[in-house]
Amino acid sequence: MRRNCVLPVSLVFVALIVLSVCSPLMAQVGASSASTNQAVRNLASVRLVSASADAAMERGREIYEERCIRCHGPNGTGTKDVPAPIFGDRPTSDLADVISRTMPEDAVGDCVGDDARAVAEWMQSAFYSPEAQARLTPPRIELSRLTVSQYRNAIADLGASFRWFSAPKPERGLKAQYFASRGQRGDRKVDDRIDSKVDFNFGAFSPDGEKIPEEEFSIVWNGSVIPRESGWYEFTIRTENGARLFVNDDETPLIDAWVRSGSDTEFRGSRYLLAGRTYRIRLDWFKFKEATASVALLWKTPHSVEEVIPTANLMPEWSPAVLLAETPFPPDDRSSGYERGTSVSLEWEDAVTNAAIEVADKLVARLREFSDMKRGEDNSGKIREFAGLFAERAFRRPLSDELKAIFVDQQFAAAKSPEEGLRRVILVTLMSPRFLYREHAEAEDQFDRASRLSFALINSIPDKQLLEAARNGQLQTEKQVRDQAWRLVNDYRSRSRLLEFLRSWMNLERLQEINKSTAVYPDFTPQIAADLKVSLELLMEQTVDAENSDFRRLLLSDSIFMNGRIARFYGASLPENADFQEVKFEPDRRAGIVSHPFLLSGFAYMETSSPIHRGVFLSRGVLGRGVKPPPIAVAPTAPDLAPDLTTRERVTVQTQAEMCANCHGLINSLGFALENFDAVGRYRDSEKTKPIDASGQYLQRNGELVRFGGARDLASFLARSEETHRSFTRQLFHHVVQQPILAYGPESISELTEFFENHQFHMKHLMVEIACRSALETSSAASQPVVAVEPQDSP
Amino acid sequence: MNSRRQFLRKLGVGAAALPFVSNLNTFASSLMATTRKQRLVVMFSPNGTVPWDFWPDEEGDKFTLKRIMEPLKDFQNRTLVLNGVCDKVRGDGDNHMRGMGCLLTGTELFPGNIQGGSDTPAGWASGISIDQEIANFLQSKEETRTRFGTLEFGVMVPDRADTWTRMSYAGANKPIAPIDDPYQMFRKLYGQVKDREVLTSILDSVQEDLKKISRSVSKEDRHLLEEHTTFVRTMEEQLRQAQSSDVGHAIPELEQGIKEENDNIPQIAKMQLDLMVNSFVNDFSRVATFQITNSVGQPKMRWLGIDEGHHELSHEPNENKDAHEKLTRINTWYCEQLAYLVRRLSETPEPGSDGSLLDNTLILWGNELGQGNSHTLDNIPFVMVGNGLDFNMGRSLKYKHVPHNRLLVALAHGFGHHIESFGNPDFCKDGVLTGLT
Repeated sequence: MRRNCVLPVSLVFVALIVLSVCSPLMAQVGASSASTNQAVRNLASVRLVSASADAAMERGREIYEERCIRCHGPNGTGTKDVPAPIFGDRPTSDLADVISRTMPEDAVGDCVGDDARAVAEWMQSAFYSPEAQARLTPPRIELSRLTVSQYRNAIADLGASFRWFSAPKPERGLKAQYFASRGQRGDRKVDDRIDSKVDFNFGAFSPDGEKIPEEEFSIVWNGSVIPRESGWYEFTIRTENGARLFVNDDETPLIDAWVRSGSDTEFRGSRYLLAGRTYRIRLDWFKFKEATASVALLWKTPHSVEEVIPTANLMPEWSPAVLLAETPFPPDDRSSGYERGTSVSLEWEDAVTNAAIEVADKLVARLREFSDMKRGEDNSGKIREFAGLFAERAFRRPLSDELKAIFVDQQFAAAKSPEEGLRRVILVTLMSPRFLYREHAEAEDQFDRASRLSFALINSIPDKQLLEAARNGQLQTEKQVRDQAWRLVNDYRSRSRLLEFLRSWMNLERLQEINKSTAVYPDFTPQIAADLKVSLELLMEQTVDAENSDFRRLLLSDSIFMNGRIARFYGASLPENADFQEVKFEPDRRAGIVSHPFLLSGFAYMETSSPIHRGVFLSRGVLGRGVKPPPIAVAPTAPDLAPDLTTRERVTVQTQAEMCANCHGLINSLGFALENFDAVGRYRDSEKTKPIDASGQYLQRNGELVRFGGARDLASFLARSEETHRSFTRQLFHHVVQQPILAYGPESISELTEFFENHQFHMKHLMVEIACRSALETSSAASQPVVAVEPQDSP
Repeated sequence: MNSRRQFLRKLGVGAAALPFVSNLNTFASSLMATTRKQRLVVMFSPNGTVPWDFWPDEEGDKFTLKRIMEPLKDFQNRTLVLNGVCDKVRGDGDNHMRGMGCLLTGTELFPGNIQGGSDTPAGWASGISIDQEIANFLQSKEETRTRFGTLEFGVMVPDRADTWTRMSYAGANKPIAPIDDPYQMFRKLYGQVKDREVLTSILDSVQEDLKKISRSVSKEDRHLLEEHTTFVRTMEEQLRQAQSSDVGHAIPELEQGIKEENDNIPQIAKMQLDLMVNSFVNDFSRVATFQITNSVGQPKMRWLGIDEGHHELSHEPNENKDAHEKLTRINTWYCEQLAYLVRRLSETPEPGSDGSLLDNTLILWGNELGQGNSHTLDNIPFVMVGNGLDFNMGRSLKYKHVPHNRLLVALAHGFGHHIESFGNPDFCKDGVLTGLT
């Protein structure tokens, strides 16, 4: 018998917590929620086994309307009393289970068994699943402005379009010229060589007792630095002698410590560097009459520690100046899990203005560096030509006569000198929506394709070849587009973009500072943390650079990059001062990033491991499950309050409450599989004299339960799980295209996941496929509402 | 700062426009000024002087200007000649280095690695310079605070930072580079105003463009562009407001295309002095330095028919009459620059008062040496012009070997900044330099 239920307020509140706020039924749509076929297939298979599927569905709808709608609203959108909408990615069986145990609030037990199953099934197909959500509110390709990183890259490539783009050459270290005089006199040069880094202590002696006097000598180092990530880099010269450092600029030193004065021996200067590019660098140094001589060139990369610039980040090759926009911008919207340029603000408009002024200042001041103009000649014609090209390249298409009149001719007419005219052109161009916005539908043509392709693969404006292809109508066929995509994906900037994606896939931006208890882990220094980050980066680079570019290597690799310091800390055998190299280390116990000590330490507390943090990373990041923040802030039980419990036991006790258990059942049982690793990622067999239990399990979205024990077992499950592939594909799509994948048709995600699987998980191949899809999609077609998604049989 | 914020708020200028309206600072503070403005200019020329063509024979208010100072004859009654003031600072570095690094700091150079022609190598000065000290004092008070506080002008200063090229110090080991490119100085002073002008005209076409593009996007997307348009309009509004409160004085017109080359020194000097006068009219700063080349400077004054470099000539012995004739003409040319500045200041009305800028400005002309061939630091050719401080002008004074630190103290006192000593206190035992007021 069904009763009409009116929920008391307190119960409504509980309902809110259980179902609406924390419930595993809930998840955010967009990037953090998966749109999965599994759920659909699950439904479909249910449909096949049930002879009266349609009847059951109908029954589910009736029950919902009778018992649920008054609190949860039509299509689960919520009501005034229970405002949180219901949607998510849990399997139907989970939904039914929660309904059986908790609903209706005032009559638990009224809706169980087939009833619960029927209502859960109907909810899945009507509004709960991401596909259903997509049908109810179809996502579309939205007009977007350049993201901040696209803006900076576009500026850099506008500059490079007048020089050339310089990718790193294989040789490492810096060119060095040694002089037997304090000035760099050509006739006193005694040596030309490559130094692997700048870190010398000559003491009271000279670098070459025969050719170089002890009293005075000088050295000039030349070459380029290769930054891994974008951000502010702080350079330091450490010397008791005189030195001057130039970075990306030959005229104004970043650090001028030529005059030694008093007792200062450290001199610093900061510069914003964009990843995916190289920056020329020159260090002039001399000794004169001081008792001793030493010099070291260090840097502090973003969020890391100060260190001598490693050989791997130095190359002897010179690089043309990079046009850098250093103006601070407000951060882009990342609420859907990836950077998007779908909002503007006054702060942004202000930043755009200031950046335009900055770029105009830099370009006009260094015009001769970016052009073939010569001193003392009349360059007015060349300046005008330069201005026209600048606008054309910024707009990513030829200038029509009308636009040329507005953006070039009028500006020169209003100026007193050619330089001022150029300045005006730069300002008006960089503030124009034609530069600031991504392709809009004004003229859907091959130039738009070129732009989409280029922003997808190198996060920047199209290069000359791509514009040329568009101009000649050579981006017409799919093959032409694909050929260009393959050319671009092998560009150094594209590699950098893929690495940047892997960092975001691994949540590395959350792990900027890893501190451990000095009492428990006295040897885990910030330097070790920084080394571990490099080690992880090297694994990423190795995976990306490998011929097969196989994503699974990230999960399954049985080796770790170590230097002497890491090896010593983790007990591997390497010489103390060894540089980074690949080491087979505990290959039966460890697997790729799953047990990489950087992530294990990062997703852990100061003293103890954290199965919850590790589990959230695995479920949300790797498997792509929608996991909401906890409903209430819970301080973790301090280990010393539960002195007899292992971490696993303590976490289990702490999260067993009903309102925690739904999510933590999923999270913890993934994280527990890594319990063999302590808070710094060292292997352990026991904790508090109890043996470690590293068994874990995972209820897949198709309803099947998987069990595993330990890191390797877990990793091999992740590597073959369709959920992992799907989540990786979806996240890569969002990172590359910056539009919701569902806006590209309901099948896109499944098709691309299948493509990924069929191409042996070749990441570059997937990237090319994604870029081509987005390039060939016209915004007008994509703006059409997504066709309704109905549950279908899997092929 | 509070009142400035309030002032800006009254104008309705939001945070976003603040970078463009910092000029208002001076506008606001000038409204509050109660006492007269006071300014200090320090002019530097290198390599010592020619004593017999420089120092007046007489002492007191009746004296005859010698050849070098003749350009100042129209302003003799506003001129104070200070013979017998010596740079007594010793320690590391040769005299050219100490002469420069200690001229305005009055304190020793740090030991270092810069080797001069003799003596031990040295580094930077170990203390702040008097121009910066006074500027800090003025900036610390609301009523004398200006946009820049201090401006350092240069003329053909070599593009290297060392003890010979820097005379202003923000503190120990903190030399300040003079700006010797008039266009760069112009950008520093008026870049924002210029940008505002250009931006205002550009924002119109940005709005046009947004409108055009809006027509070609879907209704949903149009919303983003409309929002953008609103911000552009807000920006434009703010710029217009800032512009209307921009300094009412015309921006100086600079001759275009003057390259930084030896032969352009006369044009560059004139451009820089014009910019300085204009910056005073706009009250951008109350303290300025004007550094012609550098210690050991080598300008070749071909416009005077002199092909040798100045420093090279300054080593010639007194007996070389030809060389000294040239040196006198060179120093006279420096004095002409001073006279040009003085004349411009005297002809330019002080905004908001009856007098001229010169009535409220004191210029101190100095040098790193007394004379080039002896490299002496005694009798530095110090001359002051203008009535910025309450000194009794129109006189030739002769001191007996007084340390120049006492003169630096007197400058501070002239601004009401009553410090007991400046630089090395050993040289200030006898207190502020007397006889000036």
